Amino acid sequence: MYTILICDDDKDIVSALDIYLTSEGYQTIKTYNGLEAVRAAETHEIHLILMDVMMPELDGIRATAKLREGSNVPIILLTAKSEDTDKILGLNIGADDYITKPFNPLEVIARVKSQLRRYTALGGAEKGPGLITAGPIAMDDGAKVVTVDGESISLTPIEYNILKLLLSHPGQVFSSAQIYEQVWNDPAYGSENTVAVHIRHLREKIEINPAEPRYLKVVWGLGYKIEKGA
Amino acid sequence: MKKLQGSAAAKVCVWLVLLCAAFGAGVFGVRAVLSFQSVVADSWQDSSRYYNARENRRRELVDGVYLTCRLDALEQQIAAGNADATLQADAEALRESRAAIERQFSRDSTWFRFRLTDADTGEVLGANLAEDESMFRAVKDICQYTFELSEVSWAEYGYYNPNDYGYAVAPGDQAGQNAGEAGPAPVKLVLEYGVPEDVDGPVRDEFSQIWMTWMNERADFDMYLTGFLNLGALSLLALIWVLWSSGHKKGAEGTVTTWQERIWFDLYAAVMIAAVVFLAVCTVELVQQLYWSSASLYAAQSGSYASFYDLGVMGAGVLFAAGVGCGSLLLRTFVVRIKARCLAKTTLLCRVCGWTVRTVHNFIRFLPFTWKIVLGFGAYVIFSFWLNMVGRYEGAFMLMYYCLQLALLLFLSWWAYGYYRLRQGTKTIVGGDLEYQIDTRRMPYDLRLQAEDLNNISVGLAGAVEEKMKSERFKAELITNVSHDLKTPLTSIINYVDLLKTTEQTDPKAAEYIEVLDRKSQRLKKLTEDLVEASKASTGVLSVTREKIGMSQLIDQALGEWEERLNDRSLTLVTTLPEGEVWVYADGRHLWRVLDNLLSNCAKYAMEGTRVYLDLERGRGQVVLSVKNISREALNVPAERLMERFVRGEESRSTEGSGLGLSIARSLTELQGGSFELAVDGDLFKAVVTLPQAN
Repeated sequence: MYTILICDDDKDIVSALDIYLTSEGYQTIKTYNGLEAVRAAETHEIHLILMDVMMPELDGIRATAKLREGSNVPIILLTAKSEDTDKILGLNIGADDYITKPFNPLEVIARVKSQLRRYTALGGAEKGPGLITAGPIAMDDGAKVVTVDGESISLTPIEYNILKLLLSHPGQVFSSAQIYEQVWNDPAYGSENTVAVHIRHLREKIEINPAEPRYLKVVWGLGYKIEKGA
Repeated sequence: MKKLQGSAAAKVCVWLVLLCAAFGAGVFGVRAVLSFQSVVADSWQDSSRYYNARENRRRELVDGVYLTCRLDALEQQIAAGNADATLQADAEALRESRAAIERQFSRDSTWFRFRLTDADTGEVLGANLAEDESMFRAVKDICQYTFELSEVSWAEYGYYNPNDYGYAVAPGDQAGQNAGEAGPAPVKLVLEYGVPEDVDGPVRDEFSQIWMTWMNERADFDMYLTGFLNLGALSLLALIWVLWSSGHKKGAEGTVTTWQERIWFDLYAAVMIAAVVFLAVCTVELVQQLYWSSASLYAAQSGSYASFYDLGVMGAGVLFAAGVGCGSLLLRTFVVRIKARCLAKTTLLCRVCGWTVRTVHNFIRFLPFTWKIVLGFGAYVIFSFWLNMVGRYEGAFMLMYYCLQLALLLFLSWWAYGYYRLRQGTKTIVGGDLEYQIDTRRMPYDLRLQAEDLNNISVGLAGAVEEKMKSERFKAELITNVSHDLKTPLTSIINYVDLLKTTEQTDPKAAEYIEVLDRKSQRLKKLTEDLVEASKASTGVLSVTREKIGMSQLIDQALGEWEERLNDRSLTLVTTLPEGEVWVYADGRHLWRVLDNLLSNCAKYAMEGTRVYLDLERGRGQVVLSVKNISREALNVPAERLMERFVRGEESRSTEGSGLGLSIARSLTELQGGSFELAVDGDLFKAVVTLPQAN
């Protein structure tokens, strides 16, 4: 039984989130501004925090900074700000993930689960000789098994090979032609868009929201990469 | 102290003290001046008064000799019997005069000693020495005066009558004989005279007076001098007080001026200086009179002379005090004017000069610049020409010539330096420092005008730039806030619609309605997101990071995203790419949005079963990407209108698009320095994106 702290100045959003999370079997604490959230975090045992950014009294960014002074509990920011700089600021200040408003309830549940799994269970996965990891993605090359947040996913051989190539060079950008030559072992002659299609399928399997990928990122005009330490 | 400064009673007292002290100082000063010669001289005979008195006596004596000659001649005529009553009366008058002179020169009435001798014969004609007294014993330093009796035309010879103190005229026969032929031979007479050093005795004449004055003055000089110095110091102190307290008034702040300060200062000074000079002249004249009169016979013999003398000294003191008073008044008003800082303002000369200088200055200043140069150069040429004509470059003219050249050099340097500063300032402003102010101190007038204008421009520009930045920030903030305020209620709507779907509905129609709500809320979400993005793109609030982007790679990635969806709508993609990679400078995310919007457009509006052409070309430093498709509906709007916000083909209004896609695509392309064009030819829809090529 995990306790989730919800913090938003809009009471209806807090209630809606409460209904979803309670139906998933989580315990919730409802707060309506940053100060309340910080106080509640001091008095209760919290496993995850869902926090709005634009709030009176103490905004989400400051509250996150304050919470991070004494706790490493996962924090997911709910933000109406879709600007990249806001997201980067939030992540730099200590948030673990973010969801932009208006959000899909299923995505919220998925991200909450993902963060909780990582917070509670992860870190115990042993590093075997054939184990490649990047953030929540783990690939056991010996058993040919790929897991995301501990849940195994099924991939086609080509998808597996593309992921293996990207995973073994985290942060490095591979163009479609490079990936084609490495995976197909053939020189590329303009048939690279099959790579793009495979990658899209791969993304749909790995990512919670494929339109906004967190791990397998598209670098537009240059290629693809696995986010370093994502 | 402050109280005393403003007190009127104190002022009156101080003025009284000043005048009284000046009067006293004048009195003592006059006495000291009068006594000064006596103090300097070792003997009372060593003074101009003594010389003057002695020579007066001598002149009187010589006059007496002439008088005697005339009288003798008259008496001879009377003796001859040919004298009428008039001559008799004349003789009587002359006799009386002679008697007076004789009285004057008698030993009982004067200390003057004389001996008259004939120069040729050495015969003593007259003396007032005592019996058997030597001239040399009586008088220490004897003066000699030689004169001739020839001037006396009507008389013959003078002779000496030993029984009398006087002169006789020589017998007429001798003269009568010679008169006809050669005129009377002149008789040369020698007069020896002087005054004994010791004149202490019962006889009172001018010499004893001079001696006594000398004695007194020597005795009293120290007192006079001390008195003068003390009272002078006192009056000086009073004057300082007057000057210190001048311009202050009880109960008034600052310097108070009186009616005196309303008179032009030069006028006032002229009157006062004239008064002082006049009074000084009067004083000097009076002192001189006193000096000489104190040595006169009258002074010696009149009993009331002493009080007359004192009165004269008092008068001199009054004159002196009046002079000091006038001078003090002048000094006072001078000091008050300086204190009130109105000396120049109340001086007629200064006003006139100031006005003239100002007028000339203004005239030169407001002269058009060209005229200034022409007139200045003309003046320079005329001056050098004049120097050349008059001086031929010699001496002082040569010096003047060099001074002129030096002045010209300095003037030009001044101008050049001012211009340099103006230039530097302009450069700085052009360089982007709009706050920069050019220092206009000590700049030539014309350059200063220019510099001030530039400063004003830069101030205006800085304001405009700041205004623009402020409005940019305001726009960005507005968009953020609006987007937040739209998204927050939308979140609740979407969430609660979703929750409704999970509930059991008794009415079967409710599920249908909820389905509509769900669809429309999703569409509202899309619209809101597009609207925010369109606002950001069109106002330029978005940040753009341009880097080298591979166009072929981008198209490849875009096709990866879209190919399946297009195929679902039975659209065939035909892409034409050049050999190798095509590089452009652009922001990858924004360029992807452009392509995404164009392909989304195709997916929404292209007719099923047709082909979509995607061409990439490069050349002339540009990269051109064109997307062509056949529209499902007739395009009844011109191409330009299609790019406007919320404009779509007539029938497509009910479909899922927001009508912002093309507008966003155009704004984003332009943000990256490219151009975005649309063309409609029948049902053919064509979008062309042109971007600068990167090497």
